[in-house]
Amino acid sequence: MATTAAPPATGKLVGKRLRRKEDPRLITGTATYVDDIKLPGMHHACIVRSPYAAARIKSIDAKAALETPGVVAVYTGADTKEVGPVPCGASLPGLRVPHHYILATDRVYFVGHPVAVVVAGDKYVARDAADSIEVDYDVLPAAADPEKALTPGAPAVHPEWPDNTAFTYHQEGGDIAQAFAEADVIVKQRITSQRLIPTPMETRGVVADWKPGDKALTLYSSTQIPHLLRSLVAGMLGLAENKTRVVTPEVGGGFGCKLNVYAEEALMSFVSMKLGKPVKWIESRRENYVATIHGRGHVDYLEIAAKKDGTILGLKLKLIQDLGAYHQLLTPVIPTLSVLMMPGLYRFRNVTADIVGVFTNCVPTDAYRGAGRPEATHAIERMVDMLAAELKLDPADIRLKNFIQPEEFPFATATGLTYDSGQYDLPLRKALEIGGYAALRAEQQTARVAGKLMGIGIATYGEICAFGPSPATPAGGWESATVKVDPDGKVTVLTGSCHHGQGEETTFAQIAADELGIGLDDVVVFRGDTAIVQYGIGTFGSRGTAVGGPALYYALQNLKKKLKRYGESALGSDDVRYEAGQCICNKTGKTASLAQLAGASYRALKLPPDEEPGMQTTFFWEPPNFTFPFGAHLVVTEIDRDTGRIEIKRYVAVDDCGKIINPLIVDGQVHGGVAQGLGQALYEQVVYDDNGQLLSGELTDYAIPKATMMPWVESHHTETPSPVNPLGVKGVGEAGTIGCSPAVVNSVVDALSSLGVRHLDMPLTPEKIWNVIQQGARA
Amino acid sequence: MKIAGTQTLPLSRECAYRAMQNPDVLVQCMPGCESLEATGAQEYAMKMKMALAAISGQFQGKVKIADAAPPERFKLIVEGTGKIGFMKGEGALELTEAGEASTQVTYEGDVQVGGTIAAVGQRLIDTTAKMMIRKFFDKLVEVTAGMR
Repeated sequence: MATTAAPPATGKLVGKRLRRKEDPRLITGTATYVDDIKLPGMHHACIVRSPYAAARIKSIDAKAALETPGVVAVYTGADTKEVGPVPCGASLPGLRVPHHYILATDRVYFVGHPVAVVVAGDKYVARDAADSIEVDYDVLPAAADPEKALTPGAPAVHPEWPDNTAFTYHQEGGDIAQAFAEADVIVKQRITSQRLIPTPMETRGVVADWKPGDKALTLYSSTQIPHLLRSLVAGMLGLAENKTRVVTPEVGGGFGCKLNVYAEEALMSFVSMKLGKPVKWIESRRENYVATIHGRGHVDYLEIAAKKDGTILGLKLKLIQDLGAYHQLLTPVIPTLSVLMMPGLYRFRNVTADIVGVFTNCVPTDAYRGAGRPEATHAIERMVDMLAAELKLDPADIRLKNFIQPEEFPFATATGLTYDSGQYDLPLRKALEIGGYAALRAEQQTARVAGKLMGIGIATYGEICAFGPSPATPAGGWESATVKVDPDGKVTVLTGSCHHGQGEETTFAQIAADELGIGLDDVVVFRGDTAIVQYGIGTFGSRGTAVGGPALYYALQNLKKKLKRYGESALGSDDVRYEAGQCICNKTGKTASLAQLAGASYRALKLPPDEEPGMQTTFFWEPPNFTFPFGAHLVVTEIDRDTGRIEIKRYVAVDDCGKIINPLIVDGQVHGGVAQGLGQALYEQVVYDDNGQLLSGELTDYAIPKATMMPWVESHHTETPSPVNPLGVKGVGEAGTIGCSPAVVNSVVDALSSLGVRHLDMPLTPEKIWNVIQQGARA
Repeated sequence: MKIAGTQTLPLSRECAYRAMQNPDVLVQCMPGCESLEATGAQEYAMKMKMALAAISGQFQGKVKIADAAPPERFKLIVEGTGKIGFMKGEGALELTEAGEASTQVTYEGDVQVGGTIAAVGQRLIDTTAKMMIRKFFDKLVEVTAGMR
């Protein structure tokens, strides 16, 4: 069970189920978020956004706004034209990149496109004045659906590219023609992963503070990537990076949507530089839904080829990715991750994939929890279930038959990855055992006879984590850590992986405390201020612990070497060891504590040879490979015939994320991931009408799961350490989301299979299920 | 969104037709309408207030009558923009005699909304539109009571 008491100073902390150090401030409402920041002379900004998906801007009349008492400025696209474009970090061959001005200039491309900004001393004055700005639009036809946007004659999102195609991308491995020629059975299906809105509890927010005297900018932003944000915003504004400081206070949820650089971050900086005043902008919820990236947006056409005995031979994929109107930081990269992940956990080596990236007059899509991997896993796991149904094989058996075997690692996949390690049958067998699979199947038979609709769904998944080796990551994929011991022997860790809810304030303290033989409370973990923390990449792609952790581990090893040299000096011996928070002379048994050694390093009366004063090390760690966690989720559902309501009776999650540093935090990550996976499977969908109007524009229309809609998650693990890093960790932030949606949909399709149902697209709303049951009843 | 329906008015067809072309009558009957000023032949500038769920706001717009074939039919084109978005509607109205001093109005049209009203109020647009049409005709009957 979790404990709040500080464990003994020398106790092994890694692997313990400890409550998070960061929680007291979070659950008592005393944490500082961007909106809590109040600076002297601070002004407030409100952004005027386009109500049209596509229109020419004929004129903007800001006279009334400027005459409003309290309003100090209004800026439009004409004023901000010189600011660099919102950056796209992706580079794909032939990628079409529209120039993404921070404010629209002559044309708007999606509902929510920023058109003007109003600045006032009071936020309500700014908001009211924004309403008085008259924008005269010449409305144009819009393309809102990615498949329709590809049809000839569809309205062009960007007039210079009438085919609405931002890029095409092809990847193949093995011999797909032969695989399909040899197949006994080929199963085809169109599968969608609908657009989703990430919906962090805290929307985005920015405070920009330009100090005219210093010509220096401090930018407070709710972001996952403070250092990258600094580099890119400085570039957009022509500032030097050493005069640009990004501070990331508490972040109330990122989920990928804050792995980005947004127009507002540069815009507020621009405004602050113009006015010489701090300026705050806090995104409203409705604004968040039209101004912050959406996730997913896939239409996949799949074909799977197999032998009669269930041996999978190959997979074909045509992927239509709804990009939205612009590329945000990683927009075009996301579907390429889906392609990488296509083989799942299976041995087949023949794949071919074609992506078409499509511009639509919608909010740009980008990374959302899982980012390309949930889409791929959903598709492959649905296909494997359909194949099992076609061949009348048990869905568990067909998976066990096709898994890569333990002796085959490292395993080179058809998509060019090298899977590091795994024993893929373990989590599945464990899930089947915990779920009582054979008994569940028997129960299902009885239930069917009684007219009940009970389903059992299995999904096994693999994911790419620990992003990643730098050649495969747009801005570098290493991570950094600094460990400082102050003169009193207390330790501070500065991590470049800017965690924001993943619990590294605790897990990194566990690692440091164990390595240094000190208590959990002797360590403070700090992140999120580019003026204090060495350059880092950030937290996304389940990399916080898997890349940031090893950086910390190696910094600690170097620190221990340094401590040992000071120990040799202090104890007058070259035969000392560092252990349990002190240096010990192996001959005399004399000791020097961490505090004594640190104190001596700062007092610097007697420096070890060739050693500098102070007790601090920094390590930048480049990962040699990704890590590849895996797992199996088993879901039991029962469907109400009269209402179409799906009840989740059991949810068994067995996740193998490598070595577990804190089981409580890992379970929390799985639970949160499952919640967002359930959201996609059952409730959430972004709805645009044909004119590009967002119809699911607030939380009454966009159904994220509430606490009462969550099943009890039976969270279990297997532990296959990763050979890629010294901690053996793999990453778990996205696992729940990736395993969830196919397991739930497989379960529901299984329940409805007696009615002839073979596939259903998400979300599985009661209305959709009710209609299916009605049709089944008629058939 | 498509809207269609019928309504019987206790007026002769000529009278009903005239009433529905009369800005002084319309301004009283259109829910939320604050002013209606002629800007040309069968074209009016309109100010109206609209409330939908948690949002409300003023619209400025145009009302245009087209394809007029008195007293049988006309087309009504309404466009408005405001702080909470925009609306665009087009409707065909047909008047048929339904006995003495009784006219049946058949209407069919399409309404488009955008911006915040679409994002926030989509679920209520249908019922709100129906309610507004009902209120319009109820008021029309009341206002034209003396014209019979």
